[in-house]
Amino acid sequence: MKRRHLPALLGVAVLIAIPLSIRNSFFLHVCILILMWTVLGAAWNVLGGFAGQVSFGHAALFAVGAYTTIILYLKGGLAPWWGIPLGGLAAALVSVPIGLLCFRLRGPYFALATLAVAEIVKLVALNWESVTAGSVGYLITTLPSVRLFGLSVNWEAKTPFYAAAVALAVVALLTTGWLRNSRLGAYLVAIRENEDAAEAVGIDTVRAKVVTLALSAFLAGMGGGFYAFYFRYVDPDAVAGIGLSMEMVFIAVVGGLGTVGGPLIGAVFLTAVAELVRDRFQMGHLIFYGLFMMLVIRFMPEGIWGRVRRLTAGATAGA
Amino acid sequence: METFAQSLVSGVLTGALYAMIGIGLTVVFGVMRIINLAHGEMVMLGMFGAFWGQKLWKLDPFVSLLVWTPLMFVAGVLLYRLLLRKIIPGGELNTLLYTAGLSLLVANLALLVWTGDYRTISLSYGVTVRPFGIAIAVPLAIAFVLAILITVTLGLFLSRTNLGRAIRATSQNPEASVLMGIDVERVAMVTFGLGTALAGAAGVLLAPSLYLYPTVGELLIVKCFVIVVLGGLGSVPGAIAGGILLGVVESLGAVYVSGAYKDGIGFVLFLAVLLYRPSGLFGAGR
Repeated sequence: MKRRHLPALLGVAVLIAIPLSIRNSFFLHVCILILMWTVLGAAWNVLGGFAGQVSFGHAALFAVGAYTTIILYLKGGLAPWWGIPLGGLAAALVSVPIGLLCFRLRGPYFALATLAVAEIVKLVALNWESVTAGSVGYLITTLPSVRLFGLSVNWEAKTPFYAAAVALAVVALLTTGWLRNSRLGAYLVAIRENEDAAEAVGIDTVRAKVVTLALSAFLAGMGGGFYAFYFRYVDPDAVAGIGLSMEMVFIAVVGGLGTVGGPLIGAVFLTAVAELVRDRFQMGHLIFYGLFMMLVIRFMPEGIWGRVRRLTAGATAGA
Repeated sequence: METFAQSLVSGVLTGALYAMIGIGLTVVFGVMRIINLAHGEMVMLGMFGAFWGQKLWKLDPFVSLLVWTPLMFVAGVLLYRLLLRKIIPGGELNTLLYTAGLSLLVANLALLVWTGDYRTISLSYGVTVRPFGIAIAVPLAIAFVLAILITVTLGLFLSRTNLGRAIRATSQNPEASVLMGIDVERVAMVTFGLGTALAGAAGVLLAPSLYLYPTVGELLIVKCFVIVVLGGLGSVPGAIAGGILLGVVESLGAVYVSGAYKDGIGFVLFLAVLLYRPSGLFGAGR
């Protein structure tokens, strides 16, 4: 048991050490992005990896979270640490009717339905101007002055955002870890492998999937809320585009579908790629996203983390 | 009344081209049970083919159909042979994700090479005529006629030739087709080539009537899903009906419903059909 917890403890130690030892704000920015993408990849992975339900519309849930958080802050003055979880909650609430509708469909049909839902959400965000400010979007100009342990929080530094991103990523990974060992997780794997058989042994498959989608939406919504505060700007193209949904898919797939650590690996990998090629060509990182996606599906469909785990498991078994 | 007739006509004209894109997607789905998310990029390549053909070699876009359609067929066959064949046994979700990757790769390579500029093709006969007071753009009308010709030819191919029959048989029941001695592997290859060629040809035909930009495929693929789901995935007549229906709905919607939610009508229709008639509006699909 002890050995199993070692990597997790090591990971937490590294996460705490990063802002203390490295003062480069660009590096910290990259770390924040990685953690944010980890949360989003994990959100997608809960549904796509464990339950095998491929969603091409997770940007819709991200958008609900981002809009809820930013509107609560700008109109109600609600602080980020309330606004972000509430954003997650709002996304979870919205996801329930979406789930009840779309889960009547299976496989590729479900994927297409989520795509349509996301496009509808984007249209609503564009046109419901009294609430969403339309294509103009919302901009946060000042963040609240906050004192924590007697020190005032400096929002211009990256450190508070880093701390928040770490917290969210830990929540996301713990949730995934819990799910893997839970009864619901076992249901989901059964659904992924053979939905008819799962139903035949008495699993309420629709309920299991709706609950999972809500969980996934909660994580994606919190990711959206975090995005709103970190980038301080929300508009339909930024938070509800099809590209965003795809990036979540890629992170989960490249990292390793249905694994706990996969989204983190996927996020590190893809953020690194994006930042490395960004200077050279503007949209270039998407070429590599596409390419890696194809290579991973072709040569290691279990993803990077899945492959690593299989190899290490093999090594331990052999020893 | 005149507005109604006008939007009906332009809806049908555009719809026929939508239908052609939809047919490509639907025959591929019928035979291989895969949804090719990169289908929109094939259309985009056809559009750019028409553009560069005119720009570099002064080739009329509609004449360049004779060049690009066979080329796209070969590209589709190669794509199937070299890339997709290894993926398909991994299951439909793997294929879906793989083609999503392919779509991103092709669209962004195009963006890198051709930049994101909006381009248009101007034709010497790119005028609008007004028979019975209804405005019709000549390039769109030519595209419409050619689309119908291609679709009819395809229909004849599918119903009259041995290969066409083999494609339909595989689509209905792959196992039985193997037992009947059909080389399903070859059928799949030809079908994928055919689907790609149709997408490319539709792109060439659409090019004079639409703005060209590398990520146009994203918009088209979503429309394409709406079409094939309306008609029933796997059904060719369904795709034709679905394409024309979507063209008309969009065109009427732009006039009679708020222009802002115009695109939303298609999606709502799409969801409603997916939920209540998943086999398609016309029940022809399976």
